[in-house]
Amino acid sequence: MFRKTHPLQSRSEIILRNIVVTAMVIFFTVFLIVPIGIAFAGSFHEWNPLSGTYNFLGLENYKEVFTSALFGKSMLNTLIFSVVVIFFRVALGLGIAYAIYSALVKHKSFFRALYYMPVVTPMVAVAFVWKFMYNPQIGMINQIFGLDVNWLMNPKTALLAVMIMTIWKDFGYAVVMFMAGLYSLPADALEAAKVDGANAWQTFRYITLPLLKPMTLFVVITSIISYIQAYVQILIMTEGGPGTATYLSSYIIYDEAFVKYNFGYASALSFVLFVITAVFTWLSFRVSGTEE
Amino acid sequence: MKKKLLAAMMATVVAATSLVGCGSGAAKKEAEEKKVEVPTEPFGDTVKYDPSVEINDGKDITVELWEWGSDDLFQEVIDGYTAIHPNVTIKLVNNPWEDYWTKLPLALDGQKGPAIFNIHNSYHENLINYLAPLDIPVEDLQADFTGVDAHVIDGKVYYIDYGMMTGSVYYNKQMWEAAGLTEEDIPKTWDEMREVAKKLTIKDGDKLIQAGLNFNDDFHQNYLLGLNYQLGENLFQEDGKTPNVNSDAMKKVMQMLVDLYEVDGVGSKDFGEKAADSFGQGQSAMVLQWGHYYNTLKTTWSNIDFGVFEIPTFDGEPYAYNRYNGESTFGVNKNAPEDQQAVAQDFVKYFLANDDAQVAFNLAMSTFPAKKSLADNEKILENPSLKVLSEHIDHYIWPGPMPSTVETSLKKAGEDIFFNGVAIDTALDEAQNNIIKDMKSSSFESVENLYTYAK
Repeated sequence: MFRKTHPLQSRSEIILRNIVVTAMVIFFTVFLIVPIGIAFAGSFHEWNPLSGTYNFLGLENYKEVFTSALFGKSMLNTLIFSVVVIFFRVALGLGIAYAIYSALVKHKSFFRALYYMPVVTPMVAVAFVWKFMYNPQIGMINQIFGLDVNWLMNPKTALLAVMIMTIWKDFGYAVVMFMAGLYSLPADALEAAKVDGANAWQTFRYITLPLLKPMTLFVVITSIISYIQAYVQILIMTEGGPGTATYLSSYIIYDEAFVKYNFGYASALSFVLFVITAVFTWLSFRVSGTEE
Repeated sequence: MKKKLLAAMMATVVAATSLVGCGSGAAKKEAEEKKVEVPTEPFGDTVKYDPSVEINDGKDITVELWEWGSDDLFQEVIDGYTAIHPNVTIKLVNNPWEDYWTKLPLALDGQKGPAIFNIHNSYHENLINYLAPLDIPVEDLQADFTGVDAHVIDGKVYYIDYGMMTGSVYYNKQMWEAAGLTEEDIPKTWDEMREVAKKLTIKDGDKLIQAGLNFNDDFHQNYLLGLNYQLGENLFQEDGKTPNVNSDAMKKVMQMLVDLYEVDGVGSKDFGEKAADSFGQGQSAMVLQWGHYYNTLKTTWSNIDFGVFEIPTFDGEPYAYNRYNGESTFGVNKNAPEDQQAVAQDFVKYFLANDDAQVAFNLAMSTFPAKKSLADNEKILENPSLKVLSEHIDHYIWPGPMPSTVETSLKKAGEDIFFNGVAIDTALDEAQNNIIKDMKSSSFESVENLYTYAK
């Protein structure tokens, strides 16, 4: 399959390479490319795999997506959710990473592990615990702050409550990524700034932050991809309610596919979302000037 | 010496263990033999089961039965059947509810699906294409069971209901007594219910301490989809396909719910996230719940001393008291090999003819028996949640296996009204439109016209 291209490669090395590459190609074909193809074809059909319904509809599902008020509302919710959560994830992640990176802080590994713990805790478990904490009668949040708010059933606070939980769960990822970025900064640039008399803020603003740009971009893009797909916290904490106040775009896909078994429409929604995600990712590269 | 001693000790332990094993095995077998009585004479009402008829010509055969819960209950029926037919092995396979409804249709679509499987009628549309019609004359089923007509498709029946589940009011007896109420105060009408609920409500200033009545999270299932019948309106229009959820009756029911909280103050949308839990946790004095709640209270909140009464009505003479839903009998897989289908058909007949199994299933699910001869069964009437239904059980309507959008759209409408400040008319109109959109390719057709006292 692959010819020997380097004189130092042994025959066994080439065989191993071919086996690994072939296995990966088969894996991604079977579990990614083929399902995507099936879903794409399904998006033009009225499709319920459980009852065996599969009738051609043409662009009907896509027309419905673009005329659906609920989809529009859910996209707005997704935009608000993503912007707020990504902003705080990056800001908190960077701030805390920089604090831990400081020479003044000891036990760096401990803090890094501490902030990373919510990230490795399953979203389902975290969402259930936070749902309990938001309970208007016995929840910890109302008890501590002396409030009487039905956090998850008030349209003014429901999405906010889910966003707070998501930020808490996810900012540790940014902390670890930014710490990795900070430790790989070139020491000579920082030393040069020190020699030139830059204070701490100036060093951060003009040296550290620009050098962390690739890492910031990486965190932002992975966050966009992740939050456009967010639905588990909605499913557990609000089920999209009250009414449809906290519907996110991915939650509609779940609702259409696995509650209503309307796989055709759900597939059309998925492809629209895929295009939107791709556009946002491309825009992020454009804005940061690192399209190449 | 030490080694010999150790070996002797081990041998003793092994021998003792095997003796214990034999003992427990023998005792278990003996107990099982005692428990399972093997009938020799035909039994049943019109649908009869003759235990003397061999199945699969007496040759060994294994079939699978899929279900999502209550393993012991199913195993008991299986044990009774296999005691009659020792050549049949029925392997019970439990799939949790969450997985069941995706795994089952996919398995039935292939060659290795279960021959017998438990059905919930809410998944009717996904299952009907895989079902074989029951090998029992429809007239026989009609003679023995209520509600069979609603299950007849082109002259054939694929499954029926063994029990009917509906709503009743559960009240906390301690709170009832503390409010100075007696059995005489059990309300018959919604107006009386509102007065009782007020008496059961406790507040500290404006703060609710105890809700007189709680319907949070389940108002759509327990009130909106049922009380319309009391006012003489069906859930679907005459064509059986167009929903009727923005009807005057539905608006009146919704308005009553709003008034209960916002005018009477007997509860709050923000007090007790889920009515069923709130009652179990001792925060709410009354809840309207369906039959399954009886067993939930007995098992999860066994410390609550509760009573049950029949759902109140608007005027004492309702068109129907409420909606009911059937707990379904087993399905037979039409794609299973013929010999397995024959066993499955025979097993279903055994289940339908067997009164003990019918009583056991109805008690376990807190459903009123669809088998007519069991309507006054002593064990059934000992269950308070079933006793309250017995007088008017023929005055309940099953609309058919409604697609889930009917429930979810009404839930959203209710939340929009309570939490998002949407007007009742607007919210119900939106629900109506959503249901129409979601059901545009559904094969569902209401069977409300088959109600015994249909107008």
